[in-house]
Amino acid sequence: MTTAYKTEPLKTWQKAKELRLKYYKDYQDAHKTGGIRWTGGAWAFDSIPAGLGRDVYNITGEPYAASVAFDRKLSMECMEAVDAKGWARDLCSYMRNYWGSMYLGKYAFGGEYPDPDFCFQDHICCSHAKWYQHVAEYKKIPYFCIDVSVGPYEDLDENRLMFVVNQMHESIEWLEKTTGRTYSDELLIEAVENEQRSTSTWAEICCLNMARPAPLDEKTMYSLYVHGTLAKHNKEMADFYEELRDDVKDRVDRGIAAIPDERCRLMSDTQPPWGFLKVFRYLEKFGAISVGSLYTFGLIGIWETKPDGTWGPRATSMQRGETITSRDQALRILADWNLSKPEWQHFYDPNLKTRMMLQIIKQWKLDGVMLHLNRGCEGLTCGIMENRLGISETGVPIMTFEGNMGDEREFDEKRVMTRIDSFMETLGLTELTT
Amino acid sequence: MAYAAGVDVGSTQTKAVVIDEDRRIVGRALVDTGANVVAAAQHAFDDALQDGGLDEKEVEYVIGTGYGRYRVTFGNEQVTEISCHGRGAVQMFPNTRTVIDMGGQDTKAIKVSPQGEIVDFCMNDKCAAGTGRFLGAAATALEMPLSELGPKALESKRPVRISTTCTVFAESEVLSWLGKGKKIEDILWGVHQSIASRSVALLRRVGLEAEITFTGGVTKNVGMIKAIEERLEAKLNVNPEDGHYIGALGAAIFALDHILASRQPRKTVETAS
Amino acid sequence: MFDKFFDWYHNRHDYARQWLDKNDGEVVGCFCSYVPEELLYANGHLPMRMLGSHEPQDVTEPHIFGMFCPFCRDVLAQGLKGRYDYMKGIVLAQSCLHLRQSFTSWRNHVPVDFAHYIYMPNKVQTEHARPYYAGALEKFKTALEEWSGRDITDESLRDAAELYDENRRLMHQVYDLRKEPNPVVTGLEAIVMVASSFMVDKKDHNAELKRILPQLESRGYERETGARLMIVGSEDDDTEFVKMVESVGATIVTDDHCTGSRYFWNTTEYTGDIMSDIGNRYIDRPACPTKDWEERRRFDHILQLAKDFNVDGVILIQQKFCDPHECDMPPLRTFLEEHGFKSLSLEFDVTVPLGPMRVRVEAFLEMVGEEELF
Repeated sequence: MTTAYKTEPLKTWQKAKELRLKYYKDYQDAHKTGGIRWTGGAWAFDSIPAGLGRDVYNITGEPYAASVAFDRKLSMECMEAVDAKGWARDLCSYMRNYWGSMYLGKYAFGGEYPDPDFCFQDHICCSHAKWYQHVAEYKKIPYFCIDVSVGPYEDLDENRLMFVVNQMHESIEWLEKTTGRTYSDELLIEAVENEQRSTSTWAEICCLNMARPAPLDEKTMYSLYVHGTLAKHNKEMADFYEELRDDVKDRVDRGIAAIPDERCRLMSDTQPPWGFLKVFRYLEKFGAISVGSLYTFGLIGIWETKPDGTWGPRATSMQRGETITSRDQALRILADWNLSKPEWQHFYDPNLKTRMMLQIIKQWKLDGVMLHLNRGCEGLTCGIMENRLGISETGVPIMTFEGNMGDEREFDEKRVMTRIDSFMETLGLTELTT
Repeated sequence: MAYAAGVDVGSTQTKAVVIDEDRRIVGRALVDTGANVVAAAQHAFDDALQDGGLDEKEVEYVIGTGYGRYRVTFGNEQVTEISCHGRGAVQMFPNTRTVIDMGGQDTKAIKVSPQGEIVDFCMNDKCAAGTGRFLGAAATALEMPLSELGPKALESKRPVRISTTCTVFAESEVLSWLGKGKKIEDILWGVHQSIASRSVALLRRVGLEAEITFTGGVTKNVGMIKAIEERLEAKLNVNPEDGHYIGALGAAIFALDHILASRQPRKTVETAS
Repeated sequence: MFDKFFDWYHNRHDYARQWLDKNDGEVVGCFCSYVPEELLYANGHLPMRMLGSHEPQDVTEPHIFGMFCPFCRDVLAQGLKGRYDYMKGIVLAQSCLHLRQSFTSWRNHVPVDFAHYIYMPNKVQTEHARPYYAGALEKFKTALEEWSGRDITDESLRDAAELYDENRRLMHQVYDLRKEPNPVVTGLEAIVMVASSFMVDKKDHNAELKRILPQLESRGYERETGARLMIVGSEDDDTEFVKMVESVGATIVTDDHCTGSRYFWNTTEYTGDIMSDIGNRYIDRPACPTKDWEERRRFDHILQLAKDFNVDGVILIQQKFCDPHECDMPPLRTFLEEHGFKSLSLEFDVTVPLGPMRVRVEAFLEMVGEEELF
């Protein structure tokens, strides 16, 4: 028997939307007031360029490319522009959407593609450094990229940490030289604190989704976690996440559900096919809800294992009572914080990801897993078949479906829906009659 | 008068062309390749001779091309179909600078000099997206003969957008549109647009320069011609009569070059492989 | 003349088993050409780089998603099929995400006693990479010592480095012969020479190189050189492809592959601290695209090779789904074109269909040697 839960829109929904559009608009308009525009990935250490001033705006490649992908017509034009230049079709589809938008000179939010002043990136997968290498050579702008490939967080030692921290110091010298501005350590410290605050708060929000019924479904979470991928160092974003947390907490307190008929709780994995988010709506027909994933929880959320063995938001330096007083201290905290990112660990070892996924399954009380075999992203699909094996060994029902987060040509809608139908059958779910 | 011949052994059809010293086609023939490639080459050559009312001895030099070029046992030399298509296209349409050749297995984009030399070329990779094979998959799904696809597609008023370029997915996507009640012509036009988009991307890789000549088996499909033209926003040179002889024609011209350069008598070479 | 190398290459497992019979150490599998084999050698192991077998296989589907490169799957298949059942240890030096998965799946599913992941920096262009990597190698050294119960001394490291450098210099000498107008070494022989060096004790390899070098210089070789080609790209020990290219009027005279010149091009610079010296050699070697940023430094190196070996054209070879190389190919093609070198881009799989490849190569040869056709 299903209970019809009460649902209602998020109070902060409108604000979320406005903030996101403001972010893209601010970037577009930055030059009007003498500000700086830079571009890099969502994983880039955006707290660092923040030390250049309060008029520094960035655009992060992955969420920007997801916005392009969401506009299927524009995305197709971008893909074709990239194909025509001879790039392989199996390259990262975010990168291709981004490059396409750059080649065509079209900004997904209207107007011309706003040229960045420099690229600032970090290297996580095979394409990350190469992505902006090409942007920099195409746009003839300077480029700095930090290598973070020092191994999983549980093995971190001083030598490994310092490789990243030393590059961060180097990057600040480079930023000063490139922009001609004097770097402010105060602004850096402020940004590092805000970054910890926004990413830890996001983890807190995800924790609220342990509630039954879940206050958020994953499709909604995509529209909310995105702020952390845009400018996690930004005070506005950190403040917004606190407001959002209170909003979601209030839903939990009042028993407000994301979907009215929650009877089966699932998690997904990797970025969704952005042009086909209806997959998640389709689940609702069966009373199934995806309450998150390592991707939505752990790409922006920073977590730690608590003394009782559960997973929770990582305590910030402020919460631990540590005052940041120097550039070096700020950079050490920033490096350490980011290297503990859950969605980063599996780049070294699929077993680490399986372990985290099993933790989520247990703690969020899930009934099954849907793995998106995402042809568009090597990084997040790295080791995914081993995750499938690891999870299915424990008896948790699991399905896979193939697709691509940003290239709709690799998504077979009919086939995927049929797969979902049979997975629902496996879970003993039939379509709800309304 | 000396004669030269080109034999283009394709995967489905074998074409032979005989030309005179003024590069005029005096005989031509087309046969199905079938399982016996050697016989097909001989058969096409014999038919072309008959078509021109010539005797084998009058042909001084023969060049084989196409995937079965090494099976033209009576040929004197082999040249790839890429060079031959470039050369043939420039012969047929002298202002050709870019050639798009679309066959059942692969699609080639060839950039040529005014003399018909290859400047650059690009072929699809192992994936069959953007080749005639994709049309085949759609034809199977719709249970229609290949020859009717083009004319039917041109009836389309509200084309659907076929998103996949994967030939394996094509069938299922076509079926899903059918299931949604879309008209066959609208689905087909979508299929044509999808192939056109892939092949135009290939063309852009070698650099588009007018005029563009369309060659290969798919030139018989009026829908495909229109789809590529729309995509390019340019007219294509197409010869519906002799279009599929372009490779053989190019081979014959290479053969004629050889004759004029050396004037050596034709000798039969047993080719290995 | 290269028979011994072909024998080692084709019968790599026999060699390894015989080596085990004669030695106390273990055979250790190396994923990626960035593994600092000197440390393994100094610890009494036989380092062996893992390559595929170029056969279609169906055992890796449950382990590595099909969008990763055919090479990383082919390598893993060797382990899953038990072909390396004598191998006790495996080591990965970090480069691409693809081989990383061969390593972790191997560790998960193929019995080994020792599995070590070296977090080799990808940004080799920063000076901070040097001390960091020396530290990573110290960790590797400690792990090896613990596993084997044998110490690695500075002296043994120096001996290993010198032995490896000798091998690099000898292979350079063979490559130099390919600069001649009529090279006495084919591309096929060169590939097999380098690939076999991954598989045998460098002492044996050096001895064989020293044996053939004087003979090579006076080798009477009845072979048309044809077009002088260079091959550039991903992992490539596809001997069938090379054989085909060299049978249609061309000779491969040089390469930039990790299975070729990239593996041995530079030698160690001895400055005092042997661990740093060994590490720095890997940091300074001709880069894999995964490590060639922010600047593109490998393009100039490739151009220099093309000039030094007087090539007529370049074949760009890329394993399907090899993102690092895919990110380099279009700009490299443009770069070569700007410097007067034509190139042909080809996509490789575990097995390469020779017919379609042949027509592309022949058309390319017709293009680079146009004057002959016209």
